[in-house]
Amino acid sequence: MLSKIYNWIDCRIGLTELIRKEFREYYVPKDVSLWSTLGFVTLIAFLIQALTGIFLLTYYIPHPDHAFSSIQNIMNRIPYGWLFRSMHIVGANLLMIILFLHIVFVFYRAGYKKPRELNWLTGAIMFLIVLLFCVTGYLLPWTQLSYWSTTILTSIPTILPGIGEYISRFIKGGEFVTGVTLTRFFAFHVAFLPFILVVLILLHVFLIWRTGFSSLYDDPGICQKAELYMGRPQYKDGKPFYPDFFNKYMQMTFVYLIVMFFIITFKPGLFLTEYAYVKADPLSTPLLIRPPWYFLAPYSMIRMIPNKFLGISIQLILLLLFIIWPFVDIKEEKNIRKRPILLGLFTVAILVWVFLTIWGRF
Amino acid sequence: MRYIMFLLFFLSLIEPLHADYRDLFQRQFIDKPWGGAPIVREGVCIDCHTSKIMKADYLKIPQEWKMSIHYKNKVSCHDCHGGDPDDAAVSCGTPHSGFVGTPKYKDVPELCGKCHVGILKNYLTSGHGKALKSRGEGPNCVTCHGAHNTQKASIEIINDVRCTKCHTYERARTMKQALFVVEKKITELENQLTDMKKSGAITEDIEKALFRTTAEFRTIFHTVDVNLVKAKTGEYSSKLSLIENDLKKIIEEYQFRRNFSAFLLVLFTIMGILVYINQKK
Ligand code: HEC
Ligand code: HEC
Ligand code: HEC
Ligand code: HEC
Ligand code: HEC
Repeated sequence: MLSKIYNWIDCRIGLTELIRKEFREYYVPKDVSLWSTLGFVTLIAFLIQALTGIFLLTYYIPHPDHAFSSIQNIMNRIPYGWLFRSMHIVGANLLMIILFLHIVFVFYRAGYKKPRELNWLTGAIMFLIVLLFCVTGYLLPWTQLSYWSTTILTSIPTILPGIGEYISRFIKGGEFVTGVTLTRFFAFHVAFLPFILVVLILLHVFLIWRTGFSSLYDDPGICQKAELYMGRPQYKDGKPFYPDFFNKYMQMTFVYLIVMFFIITFKPGLFLTEYAYVKADPLSTPLLIRPPWYFLAPYSMIRMIPNKFLGISIQLILLLLFIIWPFVDIKEEKNIRKRPILLGLFTVAILVWVFLTIWGRF
Repeated sequence: MRYIMFLLFFLSLIEPLHADYRDLFQRQFIDKPWGGAPIVREGVCIDCHTSKIMKADYLKIPQEWKMSIHYKNKVSCHDCHGGDPDDAAVSCGTPHSGFVGTPKYKDVPELCGKCHVGILKNYLTSGHGKALKSRGEGPNCVTCHGAHNTQKASIEIINDVRCTKCHTYERARTMKQALFVVEKKITELENQLTDMKKSGAITEDIEKALFRTTAEFRTIFHTVDVNLVKAKTGEYSSKLSLIENDLKKIIEEYQFRRNFSAFLLVLFTIMGILVYINQKK
């Protein structure tokens, strides 16, 4: 019966042929590793966020009087609501970790080099979108933690002279974090950002499909000899994408799920603080509020540099550099080990990031 | 022309609605407390009482108060001493703003009793209260709780320094022993409750019940009547057991969650291993 249905579809759209041509007969380069699966795991992580998010959406009420209690209901009264919310919280943080690793690895393997500049560009923009997801999602439970972190974060633009005040007001929808901010963030979190992100994901995947996996053995002269698209580079000495490499995808997906449920089982409050259980109260400032860990590095950088305007300018420049990096680093050498200066800079950047993150916890 | 009339008609409908909505929006979203009124105004009392003109031993009073349970519950200087914290012209001793100043030793119970009504009632019937009112001798609230650095109460207040100023420690000891059974249970429940709260459980109802029961029980101490305390121990133990049962249900729910999530963990581990074994070498 099932095979009948499959055949019915297959003879119309040629699924078997598509899978054969695009997956079975596509050989990934032999120097891909487990690290190369991180992009796929990020996609899975995003899907988990989307599914659990839709579940939360059915019970969440975006109003300052009800947001907190609706979350409490999800956690305590709605069957298995706790599971979905825990997955959403832990998933959001794991997604950030995977994403960082993905970026670091792609950089290390020079995956942004010709002909993959656009892959990097879409990826970098997606990274920013995910950060916006985090910022907006953080406010929604309307706890002390969300309220005051948002107050801190939205006050950062005021450092900019002139327009800063305006930007900050624009984000908050007024002078303070209020119900207006809540509905605004909510709309971004559940409608605007997902839409943009899905479009970008499709684009990103399309680009990867057309350019193939990055490899050190890539032909450096590509897009130079001819102005024409040469097709995906083929590596007959590699392994077929399906089923061999796909199996690695599956392995890493399970590793992701295992880590997620390990945290939910043994340390469910890992990404929360005591202020995450108290309803937002604009009249009482908690003693110690820090932004979430993935914002600690930029946050402590701003704290550390006495001239705030200088601090934020440096960050904006770094951000810009990050986005347009493929157009800055146009050397053809793909092996980073043959480029000691770049390798050094890369290592230092990671160390500084780690240091700033740890330092931000104090 | 017809279209214009039509449009005008519609506009006339929309405009008032629109205006109404603006108004409602303003009230519901902008003017509420979470509309971001500035952080608590502490009032002129504290401004002046932390300034340089204050004499040294008065200066530490606002600091002590900031560490107290009253500060956490927004009980401020003027709630006890009277006076108007918004009136910048006030200086201490202007009677017209209802300023009480420092209460006399004898009058302290009434000052605290404004809010702690039940305790005042019991206190006044006690040996301590009677001695205070008749001879000015018994301890008043401040003797045991302090005036500004007031902390959460516990039986640790009863110790051989504080209670031996006027009589032997013997009486105090029997009292402490009588309180012990119920107090121990209260502490246990409070600890479990904070743990559950830290895991995000809704404990509001239980918290309220516990608070009420505790407060009731602790008023009894203020009669300083050992026999009365002993007589009530059974009653309060069973009240606390009811609360404990409710708490147990929540704890069991959280254990279930842990087990369920552990089950998923095992499931995914097995599936992961199967996938790993299945890969082509
Ligand atoms: C819970 C009620 C309460 C609050 C709140 C409170 N006080 Fe008092 N205060 C008292 C009592 C009772 C006394 C009398 C203490 C005593 O007899 O030792 C007192 C005494 C004083 C005295 C005189 C101390 C002395 O040694 O003569 C000063 C000054 C004072 N308070 C200032 C303040 C200021 C300033 C604040 C706000 C920061 C404040 N109080 C808040 C209850 C309170
Ligand atoms: C303009 C400054 C100023 C302001 C405002 C002020 N105080 Fe005072 N207060 C003083 C000074 C100075 C003293 C010490 C008087 C002394 O040396 O005996 C004092 C003493 C006191 C005392 C203890 C002595 C007494 O006379 O009873 C209390 C209680 C007190 N203040 C409470 C308050 C409260 C409550 C408020 C707010 C409603 C307030 N004060 C506002 C300056 C001020
Ligand atoms: C304006 C009202 C008010 C006055 C006056 C007042 N209190 Fe309180 N008090 C409170 C509130 C509110 C709390 C916090 C709720 C609670 O725990 O009962 C509290 C808490 C306490 C506690 C801790 C209770 C606990 O849960 O362990 C003590 C002890 C206490 N007060 C003593 C005093 C003393 C002593 C005085 C007089 C010097 C006094 N209070 C005057 C309102 C007041
Ligand atoms: C300021 C002095 C003073 C302090 C301090 C004091 N007491 Fe008393 N106490 C009295 C007086 C006065 C009486 C009643 C007269 C008597 O029986 O001697 C009394 C009586 C008692 C009684 C017997 C009451 C009765 O009706 O039989 C007990 C029990 C008692 N106190 C316990 C305590 C405890 C516990 C403390 C410490 C937290 C304490 N006292 C601190 C003065 C004090
Ligand atoms: C002899 C010392 C003494 C005196 C005097 C005294 N208390 Fe207490 N108070 C205690 C002790 C001890 C406890 C804790 C009792 C317990 O743990 O059962 C307590 C508990 C309390 C509590 C906490 C109740 C709760 O809900 O946890 C409050 C409030 C309080 N007292 C207020 C007062 C007030 C107001 C006065 C004056 C009318 C006063 N006390 C006089 C010793 C005293």
